[in-house]
Amino acid sequence: MRQARPYSAMFAGGVSARTGPHALPLARIKKIMKRSAGDSSVVDGGGGGGGGARMISGEAPVVFSKACELFIAELTRRAWAATLEGKRRTVHKEDVAAAVQNTDLFDFLVDVVTADLGDDHTDYK
Amino acid sequence: MTNGQDNLLPIANVGRIMKDGLPPQAKISKRAKETIQECATEFISFVTGEASERCRRERRKTVNGDDVCHAMRSLGLDHYADAMHRYLQRYREGEELAASLNSSSSAAAAAAAAGSRGGGAIQIDVRAELSIFRSGNNQGRPNN
Repeated sequence: MRQARPYSAMFAGGVSARTGPHALPLARIKKIMKRSAGDSSVVDGGGGGGGGARMISGEAPVVFSKACELFIAELTRRAWAATLEGKRRTVHKEDVAAAVQNTDLFDFLVDVVTADLGDDHTDYK
Repeated sequence: MTNGQDNLLPIANVGRIMKDGLPPQAKISKRAKETIQECATEFISFVTGEASERCRRERRKTVNGDDVCHAMRSLGLDHYADAMHRYLQRYREGEELAASLNSSSSAAAAAAAAGSRGGGAIQIDVRAELSIFRSGNNQGRPNN
């Protein structure tokens, strides 16, 4: 008797296979999206047709679930490169900050990684 | 950090993805996990803001998968846009498969009834089809 495969080939291998179809919870992604989509509304409040997109299709969080896996993996690998440059084996917060600063693509994250960096007494500005 | 946890991706999931991307001897500090947790959350917000703005200009009310891919390209995240476009296509194919299997489930039931009167080969085929259906049904879960 053939055993049912838990997932189709689309999800074979990698972290997705071990945590179900998606490595990150779709409900949480949707919540984050809704907060951000609301910010772009020109008109505040529930009514009126002039506001920005307020509804999110079921497939959009699915796309982000995979995109965030790729993003987290890429940022982590770049941070690890900074860790190795420092001849260490533990990835620190400043390694993540260095990865962001060294990657033009991630300019939008500079404020995120430099916030409260003072706590770590580092040189990054 | 604690106060805002509900607005971030879960740190356990983030930590697991980070660990999978590094060699076994690597260690990751808690602060590094928290920082990447915040970065990934900001990534979603940044791209969603762009996608939502495009919907507003086009007078649409729902952000869909194509809007997300297009927003990534607009923001210079081309390799993410390419990867997600391919992923979205496969996801949609999976949804179509699940839908078609659902419509054939009544036929499968009839075949199962026939199978109980003999014809072992038919019975095996029914089981194979049902196992595929369960796999396909699983792919439909994200739409709940």
